[in-house]
Amino acid sequence: MPASVFSFILAHQGDAADPELLRWIKVQLDHIFGSGPWAVIAIMGFIILAIPIFVGAVYLMQANRRTAADTIDSEPIQQDGQEQERVP
Amino acid sequence: MSSTEKAKAPLYFGWYVCAATVFIAFVTTGARSSFGIFIIPLEEEFGWSRFMLSSAVGTGFLVNGLTQPFVGRLFDQFSGRTVIMVGLIIAGLATASLSLTFNYLFLFFVFGILLSTAMSGASVTNTMALLAKWFHRRRSTVLGINVAGASLGGLTLVPFGMFLLQATSWRVTWAALGLIILALALPMVYFFIRNDPADMGLQPDGDTEEPTPANKLERKRGPIEVEKWSESFRSWPMWQISAAYTVCGITTGMIAAHFVPYAIGEGLSGTLAALAFGVMMALNVVGGLGAGFLGDRFGRKNLLAAVYVLRGIAFIFLLLFPGATGVWIFALLAGFSWIASVPLTTSLTADVYGLRALATISGISFLCHQVGSFVSILAAGLLFDITGSYALPFAIGGALLFPAAIAAFSVRERKYSARYQTPLSTAAAAGD
Repeated sequence: MPASVFSFILAHQGDAADPELLRWIKVQLDHIFGSGPWAVIAIMGFIILAIPIFVGAVYLMQANRRTAADTIDSEPIQQDGQEQERVP
Repeated sequence: MSSTEKAKAPLYFGWYVCAATVFIAFVTTGARSSFGIFIIPLEEEFGWSRFMLSSAVGTGFLVNGLTQPFVGRLFDQFSGRTVIMVGLIIAGLATASLSLTFNYLFLFFVFGILLSTAMSGASVTNTMALLAKWFHRRRSTVLGINVAGASLGGLTLVPFGMFLLQATSWRVTWAALGLIILALALPMVYFFIRNDPADMGLQPDGDTEEPTPANKLERKRGPIEVEKWSESFRSWPMWQISAAYTVCGITTGMIAAHFVPYAIGEGLSGTLAALAFGVMMALNVVGGLGAGFLGDRFGRKNLLAAVYVLRGIAFIFLLLFPGATGVWIFALLAGFSWIASVPLTTSLTADVYGLRALATISGISFLCHQVGSFVSILAAGLLFDITGSYALPFAIGGALLFPAAIAAFSVRERKYSARYQTPLSTAAAAGD
């Protein structure tokens, strides 16, 4: 029984640490990607890296759009201001 | 706001907060769940027994549960962002330092104590408390997304670690997992985690209407909302929610530890038993997302009760249908309900008790959950040793789910939840 204690890992905060399951996952991935581990490492690594890069890219795009919108919004006010200066 | 203006409006910052919390859950859970892949290399290199390694993990499990309310208190009292950030820094350094393991006591201290305490800082319990501030109307949905991130982390980082270990060594793998936390998750927290939408001049859910005294009152207060965590114990919902969550821990812990041995005992091959368990884990992503989405549409407590009933039915099938049929039906039904209880429980707690002490209160419920898990794992093993079968512990666990469903169902959500309050009803309920 004590041996099984390690496999309960964090119910609700990440499971899937059962050695049988890990072995099965490995066999399946080997079957799909061939026996070389680097292909799986590259794919999984890409997924892990892609998440923060994607979030950062969306944020930057939105920030650029916001800056552009702010510039357009502020233009009429400047023109009004210039016109007011010319009147006297 | 017109539809054109809405389309041009920048994305609400809360969604970046959500993305960051999902990624935190993704990497921390993934890194921690990867411990299973190090078992055999450590056994081979140091000659440690499976029991010794299990003890380090078991201790970590308990430490994680025990420290959660205290770390939650720090979260509520000071800055949630700082707590998460410090938790991640220590977790990243601790994970990387496991690559230096040379002695059992080192492993026991770093994994069982240090990493587990640090993980309480960056835990889903804390990130959900943070998200609850950013989202009110979509609260349950985003909490569902957050817990789904944790499950996906296990499904992605464990294979990643497994193949990295094969290609390099266990030391490099542990260093890489630590590096992922420090180099990827930490910047996400730095750039995208903020304590409160008000700090950025925003409103929850990205609302753009100016808050008036009327809608402020309507939005913010439930009748038994608390300022201090201890006040929550003076009302029924805290006891009902925690009792149900304890049963949740009992059943998930029992199954996580004993499902594969049970399935093998029922005549399935080890591979097939593992596959059934894997299917269950994959389905919990769908269950978490679905429960979160539905919780915002149909309320929390009825759905929470339904989740426990569904899991109870899964146990009935497991016991009534011996062999592969029962195992597979169980895997499907229990898979959907596995983490579905988490976003619903936290949303309900936030709606009833408010946000000021949410991380502490949720931490206490989580502690109940972890204690339930730990006791049930040991008790199920003990009963198996005595009776030679899992029928009795599974029957007890399954039977407990129905009182848990009643406890959840009997929470008076319409009376106590801030979601259902109007200024008038708040005043009336407070006067009860």
